Amino acid sequence: MLNPYGVQVLQVATIVGGAPLVSGVIAHVEGRLQGRRGPRILQPYYDLAKLFRKENLVTEESSWVFLAAPIVAFACYLIVPLLIPVLTTYGLPLGYMGDILGGGFVLSLAGFSVALAGTESGAPYAQLGSSRAMTFGALIEPTLLFVVFAVALITRTDLPYALAATVRLSASEMVRPAHVLAAVAFFLLVLADTGRIPVETHSGTLEFGMIDEGRTLEHSGPALALLQWGSNMKQLILYTILIDVFVAPWGLAGSGRVLSVVLAVPALLGKAMVVGLVFAVIDNSFSKLRLFKITEFLAASFLLAVLAVLVYYVGGG
Amino acid sequence: MTASSVLVAIVIVPFVVSVATFFLPVRMSKPLTVVTGIAIFALSAALVPRVLRAPIRVGGTLQADALSVVFLVATAFLYATTAIFAAGYLHLEAGRSGARYGRLFYSGINLFCWAMVVAPVVNGIALLWVAIEITTVVSALLVAIDDTEAASEAAWKYVLLASLGLGIALLATIVMYYAGTATFGPAYNLSYAKLLAGAHHFPPAAVRLAFVLAVLGFGTKMGLVPVHTWLPDAHSEAPTPVSALLSAALLAICFYAILRFYQITERAVGSTYPRDVLLVFGVASLLLAALYLLRQRDVKRLLAYSSVEHMGILAIGMSFGVQLATIGVLLHVLSHAAAKGTAFFGSGSIVRKFGTKDMRRIRGGVGVLPWSGPLMVAAILALSAMPPFGIFRSEFLIVSGGLSDPHDAGAAILVVLVTIAFFGLSWFTSQTMLSPDPRPGGAPDQVVGAPDQVVGAPDQVVVTRGEPSVWIVVAMVIGLGALLVLGVHLPSQLSQLLDQAARELGGPR
Amino acid sequence: MGSVPSTYSGTTDLLTLLVLLTEFAMLRAPLLRSQIRLYAFQSLVVTVLAIVVAASRHVPDLYALAAVTFVLKVVLVPGLVLRLMRKADTDLAGSSVLGVASMILIAILVSVFGFVTITTLHLHSDVLPTPTLAISVAIVLVAFVLIILRQDVVSQAVGFFSLENGVDVASLVVAAGLPLLVDVAFLFDLLVAVVVFGVIMRVHHGRSNTLSTHDMDRLRG
Repeated sequence: MLNPYGVQVLQVATIVGGAPLVSGVIAHVEGRLQGRRGPRILQPYYDLAKLFRKENLVTEESSWVFLAAPIVAFACYLIVPLLIPVLTTYGLPLGYMGDILGGGFVLSLAGFSVALAGTESGAPYAQLGSSRAMTFGALIEPTLLFVVFAVALITRTDLPYALAATVRLSASEMVRPAHVLAAVAFFLLVLADTGRIPVETHSGTLEFGMIDEGRTLEHSGPALALLQWGSNMKQLILYTILIDVFVAPWGLAGSGRVLSVVLAVPALLGKAMVVGLVFAVIDNSFSKLRLFKITEFLAASFLLAVLAVLVYYVGGG
Repeated sequence: MTASSVLVAIVIVPFVVSVATFFLPVRMSKPLTVVTGIAIFALSAALVPRVLRAPIRVGGTLQADALSVVFLVATAFLYATTAIFAAGYLHLEAGRSGARYGRLFYSGINLFCWAMVVAPVVNGIALLWVAIEITTVVSALLVAIDDTEAASEAAWKYVLLASLGLGIALLATIVMYYAGTATFGPAYNLSYAKLLAGAHHFPPAAVRLAFVLAVLGFGTKMGLVPVHTWLPDAHSEAPTPVSALLSAALLAICFYAILRFYQITERAVGSTYPRDVLLVFGVASLLLAALYLLRQRDVKRLLAYSSVEHMGILAIGMSFGVQLATIGVLLHVLSHAAAKGTAFFGSGSIVRKFGTKDMRRIRGGVGVLPWSGPLMVAAILALSAMPPFGIFRSEFLIVSGGLSDPHDAGAAILVVLVTIAFFGLSWFTSQTMLSPDPRPGGAPDQVVGAPDQVVGAPDQVVVTRGEPSVWIVVAMVIGLGALLVLGVHLPSQLSQLLDQAARELGGPR
Repeated sequence: MGSVPSTYSGTTDLLTLLVLLTEFAMLRAPLLRSQIRLYAFQSLVVTVLAIVVAASRHVPDLYALAAVTFVLKVVLVPGLVLRLMRKADTDLAGSSVLGVASMILIAILVSVFGFVTITTLHLHSDVLPTPTLAISVAIVLVAFVLIILRQDVVSQAVGFFSLENGVDVASLVVAAGLPLLVDVAFLFDLLVAVVVFGVIMRVHHGRSNTLSTHDMDRLRG
């Protein structure tokens, strides 16, 4: 039997260690989809290693915030895996530290600090990226709240573990309209929040279309490495919530036995890769929306989330 | 002939005639339609004594009780008189319109009438909906048949609004079905007898919802405010025979559909609720129509708003929930059919003669139209509820029924608004019909101006004294004769029929 | 409230919701063609719903109805309207009275109204899922919004057809046992209505050379 705290540490380690791998797989598949050979699957690790070896350049106008922000963001991404079901079906001791809303706030704090660093740099494109990220963040927030409401109504609690447990109960829970609507709304949010098409071209070099990517333009060396790593982790965290809370909470460890916990790690990473593939396909089949049309995209997810709550109230759906 | 074979004949003959007239030349369609109309009226009248003995049922699909026959008689009467009128009306059109127009017109008119005579005799609210939907599609095509820009606009508004209304009515039907599943299980047929028998056990909330939806849905086609907006457009732009059928028969058929829902609702949740709903819609319709009548300049729109007014009267009359008022309402259906039909025939004659529907250009109608002019005046007076015509009698019954009710505010409102409407209509009469002759001192025939609405008519219309067609006069004489009969001496069987239909509709038991 | 719906009612609710969402998408779609395609998709969902209801409630009649629905609404009606559009290739996109965001907001409000109205009626039944009724009322109301706010004959007609889809959903789930004859009569009526709509659209286009309803304001008073 593994110590619960040990499992907790393993959860964080899975996210920290697995995040670049998932990103690498997605980038590789994307390359294949576009008819290229694509980068090596382990490329993100090499990139990080290279960046850590480089020196840290800071613009003259910047203050300490510029350097502190990547560390704060990274710390935030380390906290969130403590709160969500990553490997286990049962709640871990620190899992009750915060609910789904708390996790959301910690993620927002990370985004906020990165945006702050972007404005701190004094570079116009980084500032543009920061202001856009904040603007769309403000539009994403209400949708996220409605998704949380829907989840909370269904489970009568806002703990991520409880929702996962409810979904595992029966097929009726899976096809329950409120649940499906909330899940789809959340899916769209993940799409927007991980900087994917139709909201943003995540691998482009065109500064005008950048939102999230733009914020980190001025960072370099270890700071940039932390930011990239953080963004990989954020992606995996959101995938994990989507998988383990909404869509497919299977393959998790039901007890603290070593084998089941160890097996849960590849299970999670495998599922995350499958989700990543879906995102990659979406990425390659749609075109980017005009900046001002992104509100419509977000409005659609808002509509879904509102309907989820409504349907619940009408008929317990 | 047995009662059921009469019923079957009523349902089959017009359809066959409609198909036939599509292939026959106009000169044969004309007498054929007239004969069919008269025959259907005769058959319907023949049903009256039989239905007084017992309701007639044919299989699961056809049924006629007293209520059905009241509406059947009204519709069939319009069928006959409109056929006669159209014979004169289309005679004038023949010059410009060619054989295709005539064939489409006659086939459409017969199909339209078929759907309208079928609607009251089908058994069940689902089939009733189907019949009324058929009336919509056919009449929309008939409204558009003149192929002018205004006609296509009117037809579009009509078909869209009426279809939406019927969509709501379909929802009402389905909700009513839902209400019944609690009693009859998930599968049953929607016949009246079954619904009425089980209505006591229906969940009240569902029935209430169904009733409101039905009033809103069928009310759209019946011309209840605020869902009446298509009505003046369609009535003014359609060919006059179609206007007459729309206004005098179709609106009543939709009222019939509402009455069927009323019957069920009344048994399920008591009469207070449906009466209140009808009162609200009725007062709104009557009020708005009365005000619009005061400032109307187009003859056919005037008559259209008068229809809205009378539909409002029907709804208010039902809302009194008194046997006497209910009898008045049913008599009103009959007399309004006759009066409005006649008035539209007269307007057809006027429009032909003056080449315009604009009342500011119509002067001295009585002088110019020696027969249809005075008849038109009489028809308008009848519409304003002047004795000795039928509408006077029916409104009198409605109002006295309403006054016997403790809440007689409805009756008071009714009287006031009907008086306002009377002003509007009498202004029309005095301005257009009773004004001085446009040909002072027998001067050469005067040119009154280019017709702006009647497409294809000659550029200028020369007003000469004389009737456009003798058929029009015949149709109007028949209509006014019927109104006189209804007003002066109600045939005893008809009066029994109305009594029985009112009993079927409930009221105090 | 709060009790878990059965798998059957969950599935039907979900399909009904999909119909509602398509209705929203129609409200948003600027191109007339995409609107018609959305209608075809919506009808396809209705067909699937018919099959689900037929299978789970054991109403074999509904299989036939599903087939008829598919042929009529997924193939025939969109085909007819698209053919009409091809003849009248003057307008590609319709115009609307309000912007997309306002339209969606109004539609959300309207569907909330529908939901609340039906919920306050407390129409509970053991065998029939209530939310579906509420959702189909919402579909009907959103279709109304579509018809009122779009200003071209194609959108308005498609709005009416989709309204009919909403009523159809209600009839499938709430009145599954409705005699097949009646159902088919309803569908047949729809077909006739489509033809009539088409004829009048053609007349309108022939007269005014546009599919817009913008100048349909000559008759008033």
